[in-house]
Amino acid sequence: MAERITFDRSLYLPEAVDAAAAAYAEHAHIEITPTADAVVAVLSDVGEHDAQTVAHAFCNHVLHETIALRRQALLQEVQ
Amino acid sequence: MPEQDSTSQSRLGFELGAGHISFDVDESVYPLEAVYGACYLFLDQCFVYLSRPRSGVVTVRLTARGSAAPAELDALAGEFANELLSQATRLRLSQATMRIREYYTAAALRAAASAPSVDDLLAELESEELLEDPLEIMVPWEEKHGAAEGESEPKKDPK
Repeated sequence: MAERITFDRSLYLPEAVDAAAAAYAEHAHIEITPTADAVVAVLSDVGEHDAQTVAHAFCNHVLHETIALRRQALLQEVQ
Repeated sequence: MPEQDSTSQSRLGFELGAGHISFDVDESVYPLEAVYGACYLFLDQCFVYLSRPRSGVVTVRLTARGSAAPAELDALAGEFANELLSQATRLRLSQATMRIREYYTAAALRAAASAPSVDDLLAELESEELLEDPLEIMVPWEEKHGAAEGESEPKKDPK
């Protein structure tokens, strides 16, 4: 069963969603659809793994990437 | 994120669901940077998902990595809330002291840039005329003040 996850643009960076999707490409088929306010990711074909666990882990990865990218951007602003 | 199931209120007042707990964060009280800071620390403990139900509000949803009792989820959310407060305080302090920290850093860098090198100090030592003795430290006492009084006048017999 496919898991549909909405990442609000005011909270998650679209580049972070792309980076996480690339990192999870081996574990699931991920389709990304950008909208005006959000980026929607649909995860399917997770193999033997639990779909919800993969979806939760994917969310953590996107959040981690978002925080890392924002911190890098802040550092570049200071420099 | 995934499905929304029925929720109830936890002991600390959070929304408790099956294996997850969620609560709203007011951005006017806790800046988004503080929310990110707290999330970053909890990423290895649980699954974290953020959503925005309305402007100025962030919903934080924490899902246990394994099975967790409601009391454990409540404790997890309570710890998150404490960390959120800590992060917000650190952020405010950091912003309040930013100018003075910049000033001290600039002053330290200026001082380091203007400090003389070892070669400069050696050259300065060599240029000094060490043989000058304006305070006459090298002059013996006898030459300065003549013979000591005790040696020139014989002691009187107290009898």
